[in-house]
Parts: sequence; structure tokens; C-alpha cells
Amino acid sequence: MLAPVAQLGSTLVTLAIVIASALALVFGGRVARWWGGMREAGRRVLAEDALKHIHNAGLRGNPATPDSLAGALGLSPHRTVNLIARLEAGGWLKSSAEGLSLTSEGSQWAVQVIRAHRLWERYLVDEARMPLERVHAEAERREHHRTADAVDALEASLGFPRIDPHGDPIPTARGELAELRALAITEWPEKTPGRIVHLEDEPPAIFARIAAARLVPGQTLVVEESTPERLVISVEGRTLVLPPIAGANVFVTPVEAPERRALPTPLTTLGVGQSAKVRGLDESLRGYTRRRLLDLGLTPGAVIKAEMAGIFADPVAYRVRGSLIALRREQARHVLIDPVAHGKASDG
Amino acid sequence: MTDGRSNQAAAQLVLARADALRGNLADDFRDDLVEATYDEAQAIAERAVRQVRAPRWNLDLAVDRLVTSRIFGLPLMLVLLAAVFWLTVAGANYPSALLMKVLFAVEAWGSALFESWSIPWWITGFIWHGVFRAVAWVVGVMLPPMAIFFPCFTILEDLGYLPRVAFNMDWLFRKAGAHGKQSLTMSMGFGCNAAGIIACRVIDSPRERLIAILTNNFVPCNGRFPTLILLASIFVAARFSPGLASFAAAGTVVGVVLIGVFFTLIVSAALSRTVLKGEASAFTLELPPYRRPDILRVLYTSLIDRTVFVLARAVAVAAPAGAVIWILGNVTADGVPLARHVADFFDPLGRTIGLDGVILLAYVIAIPANEIVVPTMLMVYMGGKIMTEDVTGTSLESLLVDDNGWTMLTAVNLMLFSLLHNPCATTILTMWKETRSYRWTALGALLPLVIAFAVTFTVAEFARLFGAG
Repeated sequence: MLAPVAQLGSTLVTLAIVIASALALVFGGRVARWWGGMREAGRRVLAEDALKHIHNAGLRGNPATPDSLAGALGLSPHRTVNLIARLEAGGWLKSSAEGLSLTSEGSQWAVQVIRAHRLWERYLVDEARMPLERVHAEAERREHHRTADAVDALEASLGFPRIDPHGDPIPTARGELAELRALAITEWPEKTPGRIVHLEDEPPAIFARIAAARLVPGQTLVVEESTPERLVISVEGRTLVLPPIAGANVFVTPVEAPERRALPTPLTTLGVGQSAKVRGLDESLRGYTRRRLLDLGLTPGAVIKAEMAGIFADPVAYRVRGSLIALRREQARHVLIDPVAHGKASDG
Repeated sequence: MTDGRSNQAAAQLVLARADALRGNLADDFRDDLVEATYDEAQAIAERAVRQVRAPRWNLDLAVDRLVTSRIFGLPLMLVLLAAVFWLTVAGANYPSALLMKVLFAVEAWGSALFESWSIPWWITGFIWHGVFRAVAWVVGVMLPPMAIFFPCFTILEDLGYLPRVAFNMDWLFRKAGAHGKQSLTMSMGFGCNAAGIIACRVIDSPRERLIAILTNNFVPCNGRFPTLILLASIFVAARFSPGLASFAAAGTVVGVVLIGVFFTLIVSAALSRTVLKGEASAFTLELPPYRRPDILRVLYTSLIDRTVFVLARAVAVAAPAGAVIWILGNVTADGVPLARHVADFFDPLGRTIGLDGVILLAYVIAIPANEIVVPTMLMVYMGGKIMTEDVTGTSLESLLVDDNGWTMLTAVNLMLFSLLHNPCATTILTMWKETRSYRWTALGALLPLVIAFAVTFTVAEFARLFGAG
């Protein structure tokens, strides 16, 4: 028994040596470069994670320290000191008695990493249809591996989204945060309800005035009177007067008019042989699938008819605008239709 | 020059303006665009198209209800698939034999001509018995079945039947994280895995398309079927009474195919949950109306696009393989051909997975084209100098069993290895052309190889545990 095993071992070793030397001959230079690249990439990941930590700590108002950095990255004190020294030498950060802070180059870099992260989250949710709770970890890995051009290309392919799936704004290529699409209440038409989406917290004196009026995001308000001298608004049953300089820092968006029609139901409720009118696609369906379904003619008002079900009732083939398309249950869930009267099987 | 520069400046201005305006767009302006287009189209259609009273009985719909029905859908599909296979096997038999006869006659004539010009024997052997013979073998085995299989398939495609198959089979693939259309690319893989991989273009979702490309190799292609059929008839059918023998052989081949489908689904599921989970994905399947196939177009797509294309690549890779085989069979060291030395070297590894060194050697040489596995194996077993399937002086069974120690385990593991091992060079090249990624190509080539070794090793160990083999 021993002899064949020894023989097998020697065969495998010989094979491995032959293959390895052949590969080294052909790809030697490339392997060395790849190895060097991996080391370089590892340093980049570490540097970017450090900058991101310092950036976020700064936003929260308590500056990062070498200790918090070591804790966030899981590094030994010795390696943390080396990392800080390297970044400081590169002109990315400054350390002082209060802690670590980023130079303007350093914050620009951090914002670019955040931009890549939020764009990847958008991609993973919209295009790869990954569950929301899993995208952060995957984006955390992917944010480091792209050049600025590739991130721009990703942004363009996603159609320049403004917010990530968690609702955080995505910085633009120049590092600016997208302008919030909301109007200050000084520009808001009178007697129209609006929802507060953003309160500007700079300068502090004016923000104090807004806070004293007990305004918070999410409230619905109506501007009763708007003149250059004063604003009269009613919010939650209270009527208050604000100076326009404070009103200019309160941003609102329109409140959707309450739906008068019956609530839509998902396409999955449509029985074979029944037809209904499409109300629209729900908001959680995004990316390629949404574009594809729209292109196939599933637009509001189109008449859709369930023609036949697959062998295990999934997928179902639907007739829309004269063509027959099959949708899985998981997708039909996102198509909203007018409610169907039960038992009514119309053959249209 | 100045004109170009001012144009460029103007373009920069336009881009900057577009960037500035982008912020004013509503988030769902794309929805609005499509809706407006459709509304406009509908308004035009209502003005210009007069709707004739809808016929009471719609043929398309009736056919659709039949081919996707719970009772008839799957049986009908299996009958059609079996019919295509039967047509291919039965129809290719005679042309294949004839083609090989003609090509080998050309080989004999060519080498005789060279000899008459007193060209050294090794040049004659290298060119005619090495390179030409390998190319002839691949063409002879491959061309006739492909020339029948692909047109049949294209007709079904043109009719509009294939999308219905994808519709019927989607439940199975949905569970594996794949697309129902993968059933079509798999069926195409029976003809040739390279053609199957090209056919993956019909899957428009990137993740599902990659899954289909990477797992296509698990359906045995035309080049591997002869090996399976040969083994099934020698080792399985021979154990049954003559009346049942052909059924036993066919059943074995079907069984091997089902094992391949099983591995396709398992590997698809594993891929979609691991390395491919971050790739973009979306399911859409259109069921176009039935049409009468356009025969000229069918012939063109199936013969030019598929058959000739695949054949040309196969010939390009078979020629160097022929050269290597000839050198291995004809160059001797210590009075023994090189092939024997290499086979002895591979032998311990081969024995560990229930095969032997000669079989592994044949598979290494046959990386360019699986058609030449059996001829190469027989050449080495018989100590011959050229590839052959003519076993002289004895029966094929006694050559394998009595002279070279084959057992049932060898046969079973060879069938499994043939089913699961790495794709041929043409297929690997096609994977690269379709994905343009070294990473996916390497995965597609190595994953099956690892699986093949793991499965055959496990089977061999179990067989030994229970005293067989």
C-alpha cells in the first residue's frame, strides 16, 4: 500500500513543479507585478478606511484619535502609528492635541471613497437586486477597487442617482453633495402643504431660531402669508411667525395629494383569463428590471391580461400591447394594477 | 485646427450645461419618457389602425395552451428532444462512416505519394499520419451530426417553440438562481459546448448569462457522446440479455446526461450564491408569435454561423494535437514510445481516481478536441503509432479488460470523468470571447476539472471500500 502512495506523491510533486515552472516562464513578470499590485492595493484599502473613519468622526463632532482609528481598523498600536505617519507625510491628515483631522486633500479623497461606496450600494440594490441589509458589506469591499474614471462610468450607467438606497446623498465627481431638490419656504406658494425635508444648520444663530420654533424634518406645514417682512406658517395646529432669514433655511417638498382611487393591487392577484389596467411599477423596483418592464410596455394605463400559467403556476405569461411576455411571481409583485372584481373573467 | 479647438470648447460648454441641468430632472424622468412614447404610439395607432373583429378561435393561443399545459407540456418537450437526437444519431451514422473512409483514403493516398517521392518517413508520418489524421478524425466525427443537429434546432427556434421550452422549464432554473433560457443553451450544448456558450447571448441578464456559460460544459457534447455510448455498450449492455442490451445502453447514457443536468443545477445554484452574487440580474422572457421557418435562413444560420464556425475552430486546434500524438507514438526512448513513458508517469494519479495513466494521457492530449480521446487511448494500449479504432487480432472488450485491467469501476469513472472534466480548448476560447474576462474563463475551465477529480476519487474510494474495483 505504501509504495503506490509514495509514487502518487512523487507524481503530484513532479506535476506541480512542471506546471509551476511553465507558468513562471510564461507569466513570471505578470505574477511579480500582480503580487506588487496586491501589496499596493492592501495599503490603499488601509489608507482609505483610515481617511473615511477620520472624516466620519469629524462629521459627528468628536474628532478621531489614534486609539479610535486603531479600534476601527483593528490594527496594533505600532501599525497605527506607522499608518498615521505615512498619511501625514503624504499630506492627507494632520494630528494635533485634539486628535486627527483631514487636510483638504484628505477630505476630498475621503469624499471620493464615500461616493464610490454609495454608488456601489445603489448598483447592488438596483442592478444586482441584493437585499438592502447585505449591500453595505459588499460595497465596503468594492469601494476601494476602482479608478475615478470607472466610478464616473458606474455613476453614468446608473443614471446619476442622487441618493443611496439608505437615503444618504451621493457626492458628485467634484466632491459636491447633490443639491437637495427642495424649496425654501420663502419661495413656497401660499396655502400649499409641504413636507419639511431639510433644516440648514449653518449659521448656528439662525438654526437656534428654527429650533426654538420646534420645527423638525417630516412635519407638514402650510405657509399662510409670505411677505418680505415676515412669514406666517401653520404647522401641527400651531400658527407661528418666522423672519424670512430663518425661513430661507427651512426646506420643503410637495406632499403627494391623497390617493382618491381605490388602492392598487399587485399583478399577482390577476387570475388566468382576467385583465386589468396597469397603474404603474412600484418604487422598490429599480434598475435594469424596471427599464425592461417599461420598454415592454408596462406603462400606466396599459391593459394587461394573464394568458397562461407555467407548470408550477410560475412564471405567468401576460399579454400586453399585443405581445406575450412571461413574468416571474417575484417581478409581477412589483407591477401594480387596478383592483380586479372577483370572479369576473373577461375575455378581451 | 482652430475650428477643431472651438468645436471642442463648444462641446465642453454643452457638457457643462447638461451637468448643470441634470439636477433639475425628476428622479423618474425615464419613466415619463417611456410613458410619453407609448402614449404617443397608442394615439397614432388608434387613429390609423382599424381593428378587425377578433377571431373567435386563435390558433397561436390554442397551441400555446397545449405546449405549456401541465399534462402535455413536458412530455411533448421530451418527445421533440428525443426526436432531434434520434434524427442526429441515425442520420449521421452513414455519412460519418463514409466521410471517414474517404478522408482516410486521402491519407493513404497522400502518404503513398510522399513515399514515392522518397521524402523521409518521419515527414510523411508527421504530416499525414499525425496532423492530417487528427483533423480527419475530428471532421469525420463532428461534421455530420452537427450538420443535422443544428438545422433541426434552428427550425424549432424559428418556429417560436424554444421560448416556450424556456417558459416550461423556468421553475427548475429559478430555484438554481438561473434563467429558464438556460435549458436552451444546454440543449445546444449537446451539439457542441462552444455553440452552447455562444447561444448564451439570448440570456440578457448578465448574471444568469455567466451562470449558463460557466456550466454549459456539464452537458456532454457530440465529441463526448461516442465515448459514453462505447462504454455503455461494452460494460453495461453486455451484462443484459440481447433483447434488453440496447435499452440498457440507452438508459445508461440517459443516466449520465441526468447526472450532468444535476451538476449543472447544483453548480449554478452555488455560483449564483457565491462568486456571482454581485453581478447584475433581471428576468425577462418574451414569447414571440409562432412563425413559419424561413428555410434559407435556417440553413444559413445553422450551417454558416454554427457548424462551419465550430468546425473551423476545432480543426485549428486538432492539427497541433495530431502533431503531438504522432510524436508521442513514434519517438522512442529506451525502445519504448514516449506515450508509454508519459502514461506510466500519470499512472499512480490515474489509479487513485479509478482510471489509469493511459486514460489521463489521452485526456491531456485531447484538450483541443474530445473526439480523439478513444482513438488515442487505443493507440497507446496497442503500442501502435497512429490513432485507431480498429482493434486487430482481439475484441475491444478483451483488449481493455484482459490486457489492460479495466473493471466496471474504470468504465463508470471514465464516463463520469468524460462528463465532468475540463472543457475542450475550443470551448475555453469561446468562453473568453464571450466574457472577455480571464477570471471567468479560468473559473469555467478549472471548476469542472476539480469537480471531475473529486467525484471520480470519491466513487473510487467507495468502490474500494465495498470491495469492488
